[in-house]
Amino acid sequence: MPTRRPAAMLWLAAGLVVIVGGTAGLLLTRHPTEPVRPAAGVAAFPAPTGPIVAPPPPADPRPVPRPVSLTIPLIGVRTQLITLGLTVGGALQVPSSTAVAGWYTGSPEPGAIGSAIIVGHIDSLTGPGVFYRLPELRPGDRVYVKRADGTMVEFRVTSVQTYPKDRFPTQAVYGPTPDPELRLITCGGAFDYATGHYLSNIVVYATEVS
Amino acid sequence: MKLARIIRRLLMLLAASALLLGLPAAATAFASSATTGTGWIRLAHLSPNTPAVDVYLYSAGNSNAQIVLHHVAYGTVSPYEPVTAGDYSVAMRATGASPTSAPVLSTSVTIVAGHAYTVAGMGPESGLRLQVLEDTLVTPAGQALARVIQASLKHQTVTVTLGSTVLASNLSFASVSPYQAVLPGTDTVTVTTSSTSVHSSVTLAAGTVHTLVVLDGANGLEVVSLEDASGSGKPPTGGVTTGFGGTAPRGPGSPVPWLAAIGAGALLALTGGLRLRRSGLRPRRQLRTRI
Repeated sequence: MPTRRPAAMLWLAAGLVVIVGGTAGLLLTRHPTEPVRPAAGVAAFPAPTGPIVAPPPPADPRPVPRPVSLTIPLIGVRTQLITLGLTVGGALQVPSSTAVAGWYTGSPEPGAIGSAIIVGHIDSLTGPGVFYRLPELRPGDRVYVKRADGTMVEFRVTSVQTYPKDRFPTQAVYGPTPDPELRLITCGGAFDYATGHYLSNIVVYATEVS
Repeated sequence: MKLARIIRRLLMLLAASALLLGLPAAATAFASSATTGTGWIRLAHLSPNTPAVDVYLYSAGNSNAQIVLHHVAYGTVSPYEPVTAGDYSVAMRATGASPTSAPVLSTSVTIVAGHAYTVAGMGPESGLRLQVLEDTLVTPAGQALARVIQASLKHQTVTVTLGSTVLASNLSFASVSPYQAVLPGTDTVTVTTSSTSVHSSVTLAAGTVHTLVVLDGANGLEVVSLEDASGSGKPPTGGVTTGFGGTAPRGPGSPVPWLAAIGAGALLALTGGLRLRRSGLRPRRQLRTRI
């Protein structure tokens, strides 16, 4: 049946083309993207100024004023802090704007004993959010929180971790700590276009500088 | 034979693609730990008739003190200090004594990462000892934890209640009750001894850990509420949804469409190849044996 030869060759050629295309697509679209870190010590703007207060005494801690703004000079973050609660389902609320960060009112105030929670978006549908450069932070970097009474708390980054959302370490992030600490949370890892969500969370751990 | 070689190559290509897909999947299945290798320690003076002391914390094998607290008087509890996990020693010297003089008292403590400890001078001056207490950092969901340190020498035993909950019953001098889960809120602490009873009010928020210290005050018994640790009373469930993908790398996040394309291509090529074989010069049987 020599008349079928051209058709069969076409099938073979088309198949090979699709394989090559598929492999190319696979390799080209699955690049891990590493954020570029600026040269060490180059801050976007100087550290904020204000009276920096010491951690509270462990006996009879007085109420600590609520946080109003967050500054991370090294990655150019300067934002007001809104207040966040829980959703009906018990998940953490997120700011409705991707340009501001928020403090979870169910967590200790930054500077009080315990782990204060601040959350911000890594991006919007079209571009970077307030915490876009959060993954660039490294241990030793400084984070400043200004409070309603004008006082400021200075934190030092101790660790930056990435967790798959389905294995989020609730105890490590939200559990009690014996000293004033801060957790900055945003999204990271691979983005799932099917669900419209990132698959991981990035958590920056910081402790108050005393 | 040429075709058989092509098919074999196709199969190898498929296997290689599968490997390429498997690698990133394995790389994202890592387990991260928040452990930064630090624990916490705080130092306390809870011996009623012992004068103020200087307290030193040394890392094992280092004669330079890491922390020095001067003039620590009865009833003082320092804030927690984060320290690298490892072996330490705590020494007490009389206030103003030379740092190189022999300490009045010393003890060793092993600090495990993620754990908190209180090292307290306890007992009467004649029998003063440094006691290492392990402090809890985990609370039951929606509850608070409280324990009692009995540091009153004037009253040998005390019974401490919080509301209707008995935190410690007939707790003797220089001893510590275990942590107990309590409902969060503001409640009355009552300390009862053989001769007296005192009341005070404490607020214990959900997700917090407290130590109530019973002290000999200038005007009788005093209760000091120490906040050992605090977290989110209502921990949010799951992860946090803080991204819309505007800066995510473009293209499908899932490799499945590409895999499907490769598979379909292989099928197509295989079918084409087989048809070519059938319409070609060699008998079918030979092809089968080659595959």
